[in-house]
Amino acid sequence: MSGEDRFVLCMLAPAVAILGLLVAYPVGLLIFDSFFKVDTITPNIREWVGLQNYVDALTSKRVAESALRTVQYSVFALFFEFTFGFCAALLFSAMAGESRWHRTIFALPLMVPPIVAGLLWRFLLVGNIGILNYGLVRLGLIDDPNEIAWLSSEDIVIYSVSFADIWLTTSFVALVSYAGLTNIPKDLLEAARIDGANALKRFWHVTLPLMRPVIAVVVIVRGVDAAKTFDLIWIQTQGGPRHASEVFSMNIYQRMVRFGDLGEASASGALFLIVMMLLAALAYWKIWRPVHA
Amino acid sequence: MHKARHLNVSGILINGAALVLVLSYALPYMYLLMTSIKPAADVQQIPPSFFPAVLSFENFREVLRSSTLPKAFVNSLTVAVLTTALSLAVAVPAAYVATQYRRRITTLFLLFALVTRMVPSVSLGVPLFQLLKSLGLLDTVPGLVLAHTSAAVPLALLLMSAFFEGMPRELEEAARMDGCTRFQAFRKIVLPVMTGGIAVTALFTFITSWNEFLYALLLTSEATKTAPIVIAEYNSVYGLAWGAMTAAAVLYSLPVIVVTLALQKQIVGGLTFGAVKG
Repeated sequence: MSGEDRFVLCMLAPAVAILGLLVAYPVGLLIFDSFFKVDTITPNIREWVGLQNYVDALTSKRVAESALRTVQYSVFALFFEFTFGFCAALLFSAMAGESRWHRTIFALPLMVPPIVAGLLWRFLLVGNIGILNYGLVRLGLIDDPNEIAWLSSEDIVIYSVSFADIWLTTSFVALVSYAGLTNIPKDLLEAARIDGANALKRFWHVTLPLMRPVIAVVVIVRGVDAAKTFDLIWIQTQGGPRHASEVFSMNIYQRMVRFGDLGEASASGALFLIVMMLLAALAYWKIWRPVHA
Repeated sequence: MHKARHLNVSGILINGAALVLVLSYALPYMYLLMTSIKPAADVQQIPPSFFPAVLSFENFREVLRSSTLPKAFVNSLTVAVLTTALSLAVAVPAAYVATQYRRRITTLFLLFALVTRMVPSVSLGVPLFQLLKSLGLLDTVPGLVLAHTSAAVPLALLLMSAFFEGMPRELEEAARMDGCTRFQAFRKIVLPVMTGGIAVTALFTFITSWNEFLYALLLTSEATKTAPIVIAEYNSVYGLAWGAMTAAAVLYSLPVIVVTLALQKQIVGGLTFGAVKG
């Protein structure tokens, strides 16, 4: 082994050890436990059950519903985050040098802890004193401040809890998109303008294709984050009313903590991990590789 | 003439739209600040008002006098500082060789770090609970630091890699030419040049730990409860103590906001860099 190789290994080793102990080993433990019936409430029960935990998880109605809700939540949040964030980035780049203060203020939610964002939105939406509905009455959009029960109606709660997510992360989308937009060569847009392309055509045929990699990063990073969400929803509803806002991560937590069913929680955790890995693989093929190729 | 006026109109439209957008995103947090300085009784008045009728620091006095919140802040700060130190100590050298001495193993390692970022914390939280339990580290500061480090190291690796990619290779070569060993070149030449990037990475790892909720919920009980856990408990323990809750939320979030705004230029650079390249 050359001196250079030794140096590389020495520098790499502590990080490898930490990630091995705190990520790789726990993941192994997770998969190991998923084949056992383990009960944390009455200890010392540890019984090999093979794939039973997986069968239970995949056939449970409550698990399936929470998985569907995770998709609903993620798609809804991502759609609005992306739309608002991308529009904000376009506005800021159209303002050129004048947008500095706008961007500074717009970045504010980015620094707000998720738990505070969740509490704040709960406070804005909560029945009787939630100021949002009073604002909607003032704007003439609804007649009575109790008309929309954002957090207590089972039909809409999974979308209501995503408002906090949208508020919290639009600025991330905006800042990343803005950085992407400022990297587009001005002469390309200018050339298109001279060729007679109007603003809409320039956007569609020049800006959007060049922004594709940035858009892909934002969608995957934010999509994965939204699918993993726990704290933001937990603090607003704890999954209620009647599980109507229970997403997948919360379902796993509930089975682990409330029911003490470590085996089944592990099986669901492993399934969740596999789905996220597939998304990560997608990210790798679509984004990481082209950059380094 | 016609063109100038056209530009002007669209300029006003763009500025107006941007202003509306920015204000609507700033309003919710403003409302939190306004609510925290209302008298506790006014917080739940119907209909609610945006601005306080009377200024009062009653809510702040209440949460600071309580025994739980100040202690939770000390816990949060301790855990965040230790997590930052540990994460940087392992991630900075690794990111350096992963970008400057690129070979198969380092590429695989960075890929592993990227993949780790996709692991849902709840999937890791379940086995981490057992791991810490078997080590006797449940509800201790070192235990929570380890859990937070599992999330902070991948982030620090990806951020630092992005910063090291921008560093000229000649820097180390020149130091080697002057007779430094590889370690000396790293310690005496590379690290001082990278302080900006390291500071941004430190801030991000600090915030990761400071904001973390799920591990703290799973892995702590009485002794090492962090601030977000205590704030969340205002939900149930104190019923609907919205006044105290808003004051605690302001105390918890405002320092981070002020620091980040002060360093905004570097941070936005680091963030978008990390996201686009990571």
